[in-house]
Amino acid sequence: MPDSLTAGRVPPVAVSTTSTLVTKTGAWKYIQPVYRDRVAPCNEACPVGIDVEGYLNLIREGRTAQALDLLLRENPMPAITGRVCHHPCEASCNRRCFDEAVAVHEIERSMGDLALETTPRRMPGTRVGKIGIVGSGPAALSCAYHLARLGYAVIVHEAAAEPGGMLRLGIPEYRLPRVVLNRQIEWIAAHGVEFVCGVRVGTDIPWRDFLSRFDAVFVAIGAMRSRPLGIPGEQLEGVRPGLEFLAEVNRGERPKLGARVVVVGGGNTAMDCARTAVRLGSDVTVLYRRTRAEMPAIAAEVEEAEREGVRFTFLVAPALLRGTDRVKSVECQLMRLGEPDASGRRAPVPIEGSRFRLPADTVLTAIGELPDFRSLPTGMDLDQSGVATDQLGATSLAAVFAGGDLTRDPRSVAHAIGAGKRAAIGIDRHLLRAGGLAVNGGDPDELRYGPRGNLSITRWRGDDPVSRHAPLNEVVTFGDINTSQFVHRPRAIGQRVAVEIARAGFDEVNVGLSQDEAYEEAGRCFNCAVCNRCDLCLILCPDIAITRDGDGYAVNLDYCKGCGVCAAECPRGAITMTKVGE
Amino acid sequence: MKKVMVGNHAVSWGVRLARTEVIAAYPITPQTQVVEELAEMCSDGRLEARFIKVESEHSAMAACIGASAAGARAFTATSSQGLALMHEMLHWAANGRHPVVMANVNRALGPGWNIWTDQIDSLSQRDTGWIQLYCENNQEVLDTTVMAFRLAEAVDLPVMIVLDAFYLSHTAEPVDVPEQEAVDAFLPRREARYKLDVRDPRTFGGLVRPDSYMEMKWHLQKSMDQALQLFDEIEEEWLLRFGRRYGAVESYRADDAQLLLVTSGTITSTARHVVDVLRERGESVGLVKVKMFRPFPVSSLRHALAGAERVAVLDRNLSAGRGGIFAEEIRSALYHGNGRATPDVFGFVLGLGGRDVTPALIEEIVQRTKSAPTSGRRDLWAGVNL
Repeated sequence: MPDSLTAGRVPPVAVSTTSTLVTKTGAWKYIQPVYRDRVAPCNEACPVGIDVEGYLNLIREGRTAQALDLLLRENPMPAITGRVCHHPCEASCNRRCFDEAVAVHEIERSMGDLALETTPRRMPGTRVGKIGIVGSGPAALSCAYHLARLGYAVIVHEAAAEPGGMLRLGIPEYRLPRVVLNRQIEWIAAHGVEFVCGVRVGTDIPWRDFLSRFDAVFVAIGAMRSRPLGIPGEQLEGVRPGLEFLAEVNRGERPKLGARVVVVGGGNTAMDCARTAVRLGSDVTVLYRRTRAEMPAIAAEVEEAEREGVRFTFLVAPALLRGTDRVKSVECQLMRLGEPDASGRRAPVPIEGSRFRLPADTVLTAIGELPDFRSLPTGMDLDQSGVATDQLGATSLAAVFAGGDLTRDPRSVAHAIGAGKRAAIGIDRHLLRAGGLAVNGGDPDELRYGPRGNLSITRWRGDDPVSRHAPLNEVVTFGDINTSQFVHRPRAIGQRVAVEIARAGFDEVNVGLSQDEAYEEAGRCFNCAVCNRCDLCLILCPDIAITRDGDGYAVNLDYCKGCGVCAAECPRGAITMTKVGE
Repeated sequence: MKKVMVGNHAVSWGVRLARTEVIAAYPITPQTQVVEELAEMCSDGRLEARFIKVESEHSAMAACIGASAAGARAFTATSSQGLALMHEMLHWAANGRHPVVMANVNRALGPGWNIWTDQIDSLSQRDTGWIQLYCENNQEVLDTTVMAFRLAEAVDLPVMIVLDAFYLSHTAEPVDVPEQEAVDAFLPRREARYKLDVRDPRTFGGLVRPDSYMEMKWHLQKSMDQALQLFDEIEEEWLLRFGRRYGAVESYRADDAQLLLVTSGTITSTARHVVDVLRERGESVGLVKVKMFRPFPVSSLRHALAGAERVAVLDRNLSAGRGGIFAEEIRSALYHGNGRATPDVFGFVLGLGGRDVTPALIEEIVQRTKSAPTSGRRDLWAGVNL
């Protein structure tokens, strides 16, 4: 300031002669900003328990190595989930209310492929203990990975010749190429996980011997038996459990199905059966007893099936399978939707006198899978949906944990991975306590992303690399987003091979995004509820009461007069206003 | 380097050569091209400036004031209703001593809705404390734009460059575009005397009580007086560097003329032609062009008009209830002749709402001025069909 301002003469400009710092405008306020990170809805929605928002933000910042690290802390197999997960993260994405959800699964797949090019570092053995895992599907692999990363010695036991469980037997190659699956399992093994295949625990090794060899055991044998239709004619030749058919094709066999194939069911197994049958040259019809809206299959899978020529017949249930030795036709019953059932979906009700016949050379059943409870150790308690466990996977047997399709967990790869992680936390807590160590925390609710989310093992380990500002375990809604700070931009869509090529073989249908496209798509993320240091509050604060403070911001309450501009303008709802004194 | 460009783009080029740092504008015909071109320049990197889109002219000026208060060189452009909407902020810019530069393309105010040229929009802002410079051609527009920043920043007052709708704004002429380096030497980066500084926070534009307010206004008037003198010096420097000067007041073939026409804006060019024709015929007619309206160049005008018997002031504006605004200002400037005879001032209101001012109309004015017994100090209307 020129001297004239302080020399006692009237300045030519209406500017105060003293600093305004003497006026503590903060005294005027009755509301004040609270700067806290909350939880993005995708994080809460993720059955794996990934800090989705966190790694997308690191990509946006160009810190891709850190982004990959953050992703791999929670998910051992992004290359697989990026391909086969039903991505509830996207269904909950706040951006879907603005234009379209962020294509998280495509970004995850891209990061997952990148992960497979890295060489895993064996973790120093900070924990002591030997863990036996039964099964080698996604739940088992996840549990093994997390325990190995904690430093435990882990041995995975698989009854089949190769590990992978449902990933290998149930999921067709065109969705999950074997090369990706094999490399993913090798990559997990490289963390120090030992695999023993061709050994059926409970048969080849008695449970009693098995349990005595380990400090803790995780049972994740899945649900590998197709549920029977329970109608006459099911024993006819040409009527096959869908899962058995998929396993056969996935082993490399190419069974002859005949010209006309009928698939019964509306879930992902049904879609896999239908699309696989198309690839074997058959004409395929799917029978589903409700409508498209009630189908449990991933919507994109249904669309792909249609694109490949699969016909859908809704509101139809098989009543009877006709034929002498071999099935010749399906006698169908027309249905209508009645009152909602226990699942909340409207229950199908038969329409009298409305039967018709559908010719079929092969009928594939895919109305659900059941666990084989006969192969479980004696004394293990069951509940109505499977093996009973607590929130951290502990069963009624001491030091025995369970998770995945044989428990009440929803039947999805992502839920299985999440269950494996939950059990890893449970086993770690159990062994630390058994070792006489005081364990702080471990209340599952404190480890969740949001009130209903899955657990974060990063929170359990207490080594989150992302700095959080007074984090609050509350999910941010679309209404908290200041959309004026964002521009509409279409969602990136992965390339798909032409339908003629798709139908002709087992090549992967979705080619995915290029690395650059994936990184760019991450830039569409709102970063809901998590401050990403965009500086908008700092720029717009009329009192210059906000300053940078380490990784975040500090509000100088001496001068904040409670105008609320920062909270209104924060693009992501990381600032809220509260009454002074509350 | 010469380029053919419309008057609006001559403004844009001037703003670019001045290395303006912040532009905030709202579109309005016939100004829009000015900021469209600037937006292009900002987007393709020819001008490193922050272009702020705003929701009204009031905000455009407010944003320029903010930028200027932070020490930036700021510019906006408007017309007519847009300028009227800015009115409050015009006072703020001047009293706050923010050297914002604005181009106003003269346009009539509605209703009746009219987009054509008329000086009423800028002249209505006479008392806001803005320097006003009127232009005759596109070269003058570009040169004045650059000089305006120099003048504004020298006296900490805002400057309005004024050009006629369509006759200049949308008419293409060859314009000599000065070299950037030469302009940089003429107009260095702004060094703000007073500016916002978060490390030394002060209140700007706060309460000023009766014991100080008048002194501030005295400073404002003093700066206006300085601007009058400084403009001459700035023009001298422009002449040395670029070979052109315009003058706050310019006399054209005025020596010994018994009758002087007084014009501003593009009517000047037409009047020059009429003066040439009449001089050919041996008539004693000359021309005085007024470029600077605020501060009003009283002594230059007295000097320029001294000796003439009659003066015809051509006003493309109307202060309803009185008459032409330039005529009234000139009468006032000539009052009390210090013992010398003062010319009789004839005021003519003409060309409102973009009506053509033809050579024939100006000749008619000359004849009416010569033949009337006296002006009667009452303004006359020319080219009106009643």
